Amino acid sequence: MQSNAQLEYDYSVVKLFTFATILFGIIGMTIGVIIAFQLAFPELSNLAGEYGTFSRLRPLHTNGVAFGFTLSGIFATWYYVGQRTLKMSLKESKFLMTVAKLHFWLYFITILLAVVTLILGYTTSKEYAELEWPLDLLVVVWWVLWGVSMFGMIGLRRERAIYVSIWYYMSSFLAVAMLYLFNNMEVPTFFWSGDAPSSLMHSISMYSGTNDALVQWWYGHNAVAFVFTTPIIAIIYYFLPKESGQPIFSYKLSVLAFWGLMFVYLWAGGHHLLYSTVPDWMQTMGSAMSVVLILPSWGSAINMLLTMKGEWQQLQTSPLIKFMILASTFYMLSTIEGPIQAIKSVNAIAHFTDWIPGHVHDGTLGWVGFMIIASLYHMAPRIYKRELYSKKLMDTQFWLQTTGIVLYFTSMWIAGITQGMMWRAYDDYGSLLYSFIDTVEVLHPYYTLRGIGGLFYLIGFFMFAFNMYKTATSGRVLDKEPANASPMA
Amino acid sequence: MKKMVIGGIILIVVLMAATFFIAGDAFQGDDYINALTMLGALAIISITVATALKYVNQIKNDTATGELADESWDGIGEFKNPIPSGWGIIFIGTIIWMFWYFFIGYPTNQFSQIGQYNDEVNEYNAKFKDKWKNPSKETLQAMGESTFLVQCAPCHGVDAEGIDGKAQDLTHRISKKQVLYTIKNGQHYLNYAMGAMPPLMAQGADAEAIATYVAGGLKGEAPAAFAACASCHGPDGKGMNGMAPNLKEYDETLVKHILENGKKGAIGTMPSFKGRLNETQQKAVAAFLSSIKAE
Amino acid sequence: MFHWLEQRPFFFAVMLFLTVAFAGFIEIVPDFSKASQPLVGKKPSTVLQLAGRQVYIKDSCNACHSQLIRPFKAETDRYGMYSLSGEYAYDRPFLWGSKRTGPDLHRVGNYRTTEWHENHMMNPPAVVPGSIMPKYPHMFTNLADLATAYANASTQKAVFGVPYDQKGMPKLGTWKEAKAQALEDAKKIASEMKNQSVKDMVAAGKVPEIVALIAYLNSLK
Ligand code: HEC
Ligand code: HEC
Ligand code: HEC
Ligand code: HEM
Ligand code: HEM
Ligand SMILES: [Ca+2]
Ligand SMILES: [Ca+2]
Ligand SMILES: [Cu+2]
Repeated sequence: MQSNAQLEYDYSVVKLFTFATILFGIIGMTIGVIIAFQLAFPELSNLAGEYGTFSRLRPLHTNGVAFGFTLSGIFATWYYVGQRTLKMSLKESKFLMTVAKLHFWLYFITILLAVVTLILGYTTSKEYAELEWPLDLLVVVWWVLWGVSMFGMIGLRRERAIYVSIWYYMSSFLAVAMLYLFNNMEVPTFFWSGDAPSSLMHSISMYSGTNDALVQWWYGHNAVAFVFTTPIIAIIYYFLPKESGQPIFSYKLSVLAFWGLMFVYLWAGGHHLLYSTVPDWMQTMGSAMSVVLILPSWGSAINMLLTMKGEWQQLQTSPLIKFMILASTFYMLSTIEGPIQAIKSVNAIAHFTDWIPGHVHDGTLGWVGFMIIASLYHMAPRIYKRELYSKKLMDTQFWLQTTGIVLYFTSMWIAGITQGMMWRAYDDYGSLLYSFIDTVEVLHPYYTLRGIGGLFYLIGFFMFAFNMYKTATSGRVLDKEPANASPMA
Repeated sequence: MKKMVIGGIILIVVLMAATFFIAGDAFQGDDYINALTMLGALAIISITVATALKYVNQIKNDTATGELADESWDGIGEFKNPIPSGWGIIFIGTIIWMFWYFFIGYPTNQFSQIGQYNDEVNEYNAKFKDKWKNPSKETLQAMGESTFLVQCAPCHGVDAEGIDGKAQDLTHRISKKQVLYTIKNGQHYLNYAMGAMPPLMAQGADAEAIATYVAGGLKGEAPAAFAACASCHGPDGKGMNGMAPNLKEYDETLVKHILENGKKGAIGTMPSFKGRLNETQQKAVAAFLSSIKAE
Repeated sequence: MFHWLEQRPFFFAVMLFLTVAFAGFIEIVPDFSKASQPLVGKKPSTVLQLAGRQVYIKDSCNACHSQLIRPFKAETDRYGMYSLSGEYAYDRPFLWGSKRTGPDLHRVGNYRTTEWHENHMMNPPAVVPGSIMPKYPHMFTNLADLATAYANASTQKAVFGVPYDQKGMPKLGTWKEAKAQALEDAKKIASEMKNQSVKDMVAAGKVPEIVALIAYLNSLK
C-alpha cells in the first residue's frame, strides 16, 4: 500500500473503451433491429446474398452486443471504478498502463476480427462461444491482460479493504476464465488432414453430444451470469451511490447476496437442458437451484432500491438516477422470470419459444443496456471534464428506450406463450391441432411489434451516442470535478 | 404512488388478459402444463410489480437511516443495517424447498422423464381407443383432414394439389405422365401381395392408350392393351381386392401401403410414415382423401 | 470472516474461485463417460455428410432449428421418437439449438426427401406458403469443403477413436479415396435433384454445398 498523495486518475484507457462501447453498441443493436425485422419480413433476409441472412447475422448480433458492447462497457467502467475505489492511478505504474493499453488494442482487434470471421461463416456454432480457435487464443491473451491489470491495480491500492464492485469484477474475471477455457476446448482439424487442403480455421469440440451440451450450458448460463450480471452489479454498486450521494443501504446484504450468488449461480446451468438427454438428476438440480437463485439476485437489487430510500426528488429530476432505478427493476424482473421459466413444467412450454429471447432482452436491454448507458453518462463529465450536453435529450432517450423495452418484452412474452401452447395443442380427434407453419404465421404481428420496440431502443441509443459526442466536444467546461449529481445542461 | 399502484395493476391485468386472449385457442384446460405456465407468468409479473412498488413507496416516503461503517470508497459509504428480514426468511425458505424438491418432490432415484412420457402416451392411447372405437365417416374425414394438414401439407400443399407438381396432386388419382413412367419402369416400393410390377408391360401406342385411359379415371371403353394390366389390377382397375394398387381411386389399402412403405415415382420420393400414424389415423387420412376427389 | 477476506484480495480470489468452480465438477464429472457412449449400431457420418453438417454450422441453421426431440407426446407426434443420448455420441459440436423459429430437424430425414429440400432451400415460401426461412440460393453455387470434412473425420478417428474404417462402419481411407467416395455419394443425391447446373457440377467432379447439406439432412433419422 502506498502513501496518500493527491491522486490524478488516468482516463485514457477509459476513453478508448467508452468509444468502443458506443461503436459496438451501434453495430450490435443495428444488427439486432435488422434481424428482428427479418423475422417479420423475411424478404429482408436476402438483400445481401449469403452474408445478409438471418442466420449469418444472428451470431453477429449476440457477439456484437455481448462481447463488443457489454464487455467494452465493463472494461471502461473497470478502469474507472478500479482506480477510484482502490485509490490508485494508472499513472503510477508504467507497466500497468502498458498492459491496459495492450488490453484495449488486442481486444478491439479481436472484436473486429470476430465481426469479419462470423460474417464469412467461421463459427463453431456453440452459443456465445462461436469464435473459432485462433480468435479464442486472442481472447485468452487479453483476458489474461485484464487479470494482470486487475490484480496489479489491487496490489497498488491505498484502501485496505476492497469495495463490493471490485468483488464482482473479480468474480467475472475468474469465472469467465474458467468457463471460457473449458467450453472452448477445441481440436483444430488441420493437423490431422493428411494431404487434404483443409481449412486452418476449422476445429471440432473436445466433447461430443450430451457432454458437449452439458459443458456448453454450464458455460452459457454462467456467461450470462458473469458477463450480463455480476459486472453490471459491480457497475451499479459504484455508480448509483456515487451519483446519488447516498451510502449503500446494507453492507450485510451486500455480503450475503454476493456469496450467495457466487455459490448458487453455477449450479443452475441445467435449466437450459430440461427434458434433454442429460441425466434427470442434473436437470432437477438445475431447476431447483434456479429458484433459489432468485434471492441472492434480488438481494442486490433490493439493496440498491433501499439505498435510494427518501430520495424521490432525485428520481424525479435526474434521468441518470431514473436509468439506474429502472435497471434494478428490470434486473428483478428477469431474475424472477428466469427461475420461473426454469421450473420443469413451465420450461416444457417456454423452451425453444420466443419467450426466451423476451426474457433475455428484459435483462440485456433493461438491465445491462441501461446500466452501461448510465455509467457512461456519469463518467463523461469526469473524464472529459465537461458538463453533459443535454438533459432533455437524456430524458427523451429514457422514455423512448423504456417504451422500446416494454414493446419488446410484452410482444415476445405473448408470442412465446402462444407458440408454446400451439405446439402442444390437440384437436378433438386427438391429432395435433396446428401445423408448424400455423405457429409461425401467428407470430407476424408480434415480430413486427418487437422490431418497432427494438427500433425505439436503437434510436435512443443513437441519441445517447450523439449526447456523448457533444459532451466530449462541446459541453460546458467544468473547472472542478462534481462530487455527486452529474451536471447536465 | 396511488397512480403507480393503479398503473402496476393495469399492466398485470392487461398482460395476462392479452396472453389469455391470444393464446386462448391453444389453452386447453386438461393440459396442466398450460395452467402452470399461465400461473408462472402471473407470478412473474405480479411479484415483480408488487415488490418494485413496495420499494418505490419507501423511496418516496421513508428516510435513509443507519450507522455508517468506517470505510468509504471514493466517497461511497455503507450503512451497517441488518438485512431485510423478509428477504432473509424467503431465502432460507427457498433453500429448504430446494432440499425438499431434490429429495422428495422429484427424488433423484425415482423420477424419470421417460417414465413420465410413457404415462402420458399410455393415458392418451387409452383415451383415444375408447373414444374412437367406431368412428363415423364424417369423424374419419375430419380427423384425416387435421392429420393431413400437419403431416402431409408441407409436401402436398394445404389444398392437396401437390404444390405445382412438387408432389402428387391428391385430388386426382394419377396423371398420364405417371402411368407412362410406371409402365416403363415398373414399380416395387409399395409392397403389395402381388409383389413387384414388372417394367415394359406395354409399349408405344399401346402404352399411350392405356395411360390416357387410366389417367382419365378408367371411364368408358378400355383399350385392348389394358388387358395386360387387368390381369393384376382387375378389369375395373380397382386392384382385385388389395392384390395390386387401385388405379381408380385412393382406397384405404393403397393409402396404408403408401404410408407404410413410401414410394419413388415419376414425381419424386414419398417418404414412409411407418409408425408415425396409428391405424385409425391411417383410415382417417384415406377417408379424407376420398372426400376431396375432384370430378 | 468476510471482512477479513476483503482485506486480503489474494485469499478472497482463492475462496471465490473455489466457490464458483465447485458446482461444475459435481454436475459434469459423474456421468461424463456414460454420456459419451454411442447407441448400439450408431454410425459416424460420412465425409459428404460431415461437409453438409459444416454447411449447416456455417450458415447457423441452429439459430432457428433445434435437433432435440423432447419426450412429450406433442413432440413425438410431430417429429418422431424422442432423442436419445447415444445418438449424439459422434456429434462434435452438438447441435441441439435453443430456439425453434423453425421446426426440429433431428429426424427430418424420415419425412422429407432430397427433392423437397432442393425446392425448399432454394425458396422456402414457394414450398411452404408463409415460411419465414431465408432463401439459400448461394448453396447451389458455393462448393462444399470436402477437404475440411475429411480433416474433421480423420481428427475424430485419430484423436477420439471414432470407429471409421472398421467393419460395418463408414470408410475413410486416404484423402484421395475419401474424395472419390464423397463424389460417388454426391452423384446419388444429384441424380434425384432437378437443378441442371448442380447436376453438371457434380458430373464435373465438384460438389455444391446444397448436395452435401441434403446428404446431411437425409442422414438425420
Ligand atoms: C404382374 C402384375 C401387374 C401387372 C401385369 C401390372 N401391374 Fe401395375 N402394379 C402391380 C403391382 C404389384 C403394383 C404395386 C407395386 C409396388 O409394390 O410398388 C403396381 C403398381 C402400379 C402403378 C402405381 C400405382 C401408384 O399409385 O403408384 C401403376 C400406375 C400401375 N401399376 C399401372 C399399371 C398398368 C398401366 C399396367 C399395364 C400396362 C400394369 N400396371 C400392369 C402389378 C401389376
Ligand atoms: C416429403 C414430401 C411428402 C410428404 C411429407 C408426404 N408426401 Fe405423399 N407424396 C410425395 C411425393 C413426391 C409423391 C409422388 C410420388 C410419385 O412420384 O409418385 C407423393 C405421393 C403420394 C400419394 C400417391 C401415391 C400413389 O401411389 O399414387 C399419396 C396417396 C400420398 N402421397 C399421401 C400422403 C399422405 C397421406 C401424407 C401424410 C401422412 C403424405 N403423402 C406426405 C411427397 C410427400
Ligand atoms: C429465420 C429462421 C430460419 C433459418 C435461419 C433457417 N430456417 Fe429452416 N425453417 C424455418 C421455418 C420458419 C420453417 C418452417 C416453415 C418451412 O417449412 O419453410 C423451416 C423449415 C425447415 C425445414 C423443414 C422441416 C420440416 O419439418 O418441415 C428444413 C429441413 C429446414 N428448415 C432446414 C434449414 C436449414 C438447413 C437451414 C440453414 C441453412 C435453415 N433451415 C435455416 C426457419 C428458418
Ligand atoms: C436468477 C437468474 C436467472 C435464471 C434462473 C435464469 C433462467 C433462464 C432460463 C430458464 C432460460 C431459458 C433456457 C431455455 O429454456 O432455453 C434462460 C435463458 C437466458 N437468460 Fe436467463 N435467467 C436468469 C437471469 C438472467 C439475466 C439477469 C440475464 C441477463 C441478461 C439472463 C439472460 C439469459 C439469456 C441470454 C438466455 C438465453 C440463453 C440461450 O441462448 O438459450 N438471464 N435463463
Ligand atoms: C436494439 C435492440 C435489440 C434488438 C432489436 C434485438 C433483437 C434481437 C433478436 C431479433 C434476436 C434473435 C431472437 C430469435 O432468435 O428469435 C436477439 C437475440 C439476442 N440478443 Fe438482442 N436485440 C437488441 C439488443 C440486444 C442487446 C443490447 C443485447 C445484450 C446486451 C442483446 C442480446 C441478445 C442475446 C444474448 C440474444 C440471444 C438470445 C437467445 O439465444 O435466446 N440484444 N436480439
Ligand atoms: Ca470457440
Ligand atoms: Ca439461444
Ligand atoms: Cu441460464
